[in-house]
Amino acid sequence: MTATPTPVTDHPVGVTLRDVRKQFGDHVVVDDVSMEVAPGEVVSIIGPSGAGKSTLLRCINLLERPDSGDITVGDVTIHPETGVSPKDLTSLRRTAGMVFQSFNLFPHLTVLRNISIAQERVLGRDRKEAEARSRELLARVGLAEKADTYPTRSSGGQQQRIAIARALAMEPKVMLFDEPTSALDPELGLDVLEVMRGLAGEGMTMIVVTHEMHFAQDVSDRIVVMADGRIIEQGPPSQVLTAPSNERTKRFLRAVTDR
Amino acid sequence: MIYVQAVLLGVPMTVLITVLAFAVGAVLGVPLALARRSPLGPLRWGARFVIDVLRGIPPVVFLFVIYFGVGTGVIKLSSLQAAVIGLGLIAAGYLAEIYRGGLLAVHKGQFESAAALGMDSWTSMSRIIGPQAFRVALPSATTYAIGLLKDSSIASTITATEILYRATASSRGHGAGLEPFLIAAVVYIALGAPLAWLSRTMDARMRARVAR
Repeated sequence: MTATPTPVTDHPVGVTLRDVRKQFGDHVVVDDVSMEVAPGEVVSIIGPSGAGKSTLLRCINLLERPDSGDITVGDVTIHPETGVSPKDLTSLRRTAGMVFQSFNLFPHLTVLRNISIAQERVLGRDRKEAEARSRELLARVGLAEKADTYPTRSSGGQQQRIAIARALAMEPKVMLFDEPTSALDPELGLDVLEVMRGLAGEGMTMIVVTHEMHFAQDVSDRIVVMADGRIIEQGPPSQVLTAPSNERTKRFLRAVTDR
Repeated sequence: MIYVQAVLLGVPMTVLITVLAFAVGAVLGVPLALARRSPLGPLRWGARFVIDVLRGIPPVVFLFVIYFGVGTGVIKLSSLQAAVIGLGLIAAGYLAEIYRGGLLAVHKGQFESAAALGMDSWTSMSRIIGPQAFRVALPSATTYAIGLLKDSSIASTITATEILYRATASSRGHGAGLEPFLIAAVVYIALGAPLAWLSRTMDARMRARVAR
């Protein structure tokens, strides 16, 4: 990775979820989950598929609107039940950056424009300033040479690093990662994980839904295990991964490690 | 040769009707397509109703209604105005559906990442979703433009002095029968060919760029 770490966050903030509930039809996907993430803390959420991990993460920046519960990110508190003002929505999303499993880069824009456009349209930076910042972030994720190409010319791992740079360009104070390496070949995922490690090292608050047990073990301060829409166990990686107390966690970890 | 000259006299009017009607349709199609996707039920149903009506009336009937109906009453319309309004409204109905197809082709993740970056729905639509949908819609829209070029001949029925009108007049005036119409056919093909070429080129270019 390029060795010019630009600090990406001065003041990481915490996230508090209180009794967050989300159901699709009759199916309760997130079942009254409460969770507190401290500023600068790195939390990995693991668990079997269908556990509600991604939905919970997407509730934090309201890509999914919870049916009930409160969400606090930094100094913005949202009560989805009583409606969300556009102002709160914008400030929530500016505070929380998100990286998706399928990258979701904008295919009609160059890599540089991908990273610059929201800086201009949302933060109101002028084009020159935005593009300078974009180049800086691209260098940071080791992809300076890709600036003027279109995203589809890059490999999956490169696209995901570009997506991370795009999220960082908004100067988020929390980063949400939704299975950032699940769509990648194992080797391509390594560079992405390396960038994420760097961010964690700089004190960024991170909530990561992942199947990467090594990453969860090495980088997170805490691991949260979800099943059937609930948190069934949580604690420091050493405890959760090596001495889990919950039967369901044990079964899940066996399934993961026996591969 | 006199037939060629006579038929060519109609080219400016044909081009004018086609270009203006397409412009009307291209602009009015946008709000129709967006209304068709609105979360508000009545707006959605209203847009669908308008689109179905516009697409359900034969162009010739529509032009007659506008030219002889509206045109003879309080508001007086020239044949050009009536043709542009009539064909333009019909084009809006078709183009709205073409745009809608384009919007449906944009991956859900694009809406989500624009939202996650804090973009409001206007910015997201105008900068991220719209341009991608437009690219998908472009080949179909061009194909529609070629159809519209041919449909503009219907305006001859309301005395717009376009190609078919000139060919008919010259055929009647000189008792020439078939020849002016054959010339008209060749002229339509010649006018449509660049559009067809444009459509294929843009399609190929778009596919090359966003190939995944």
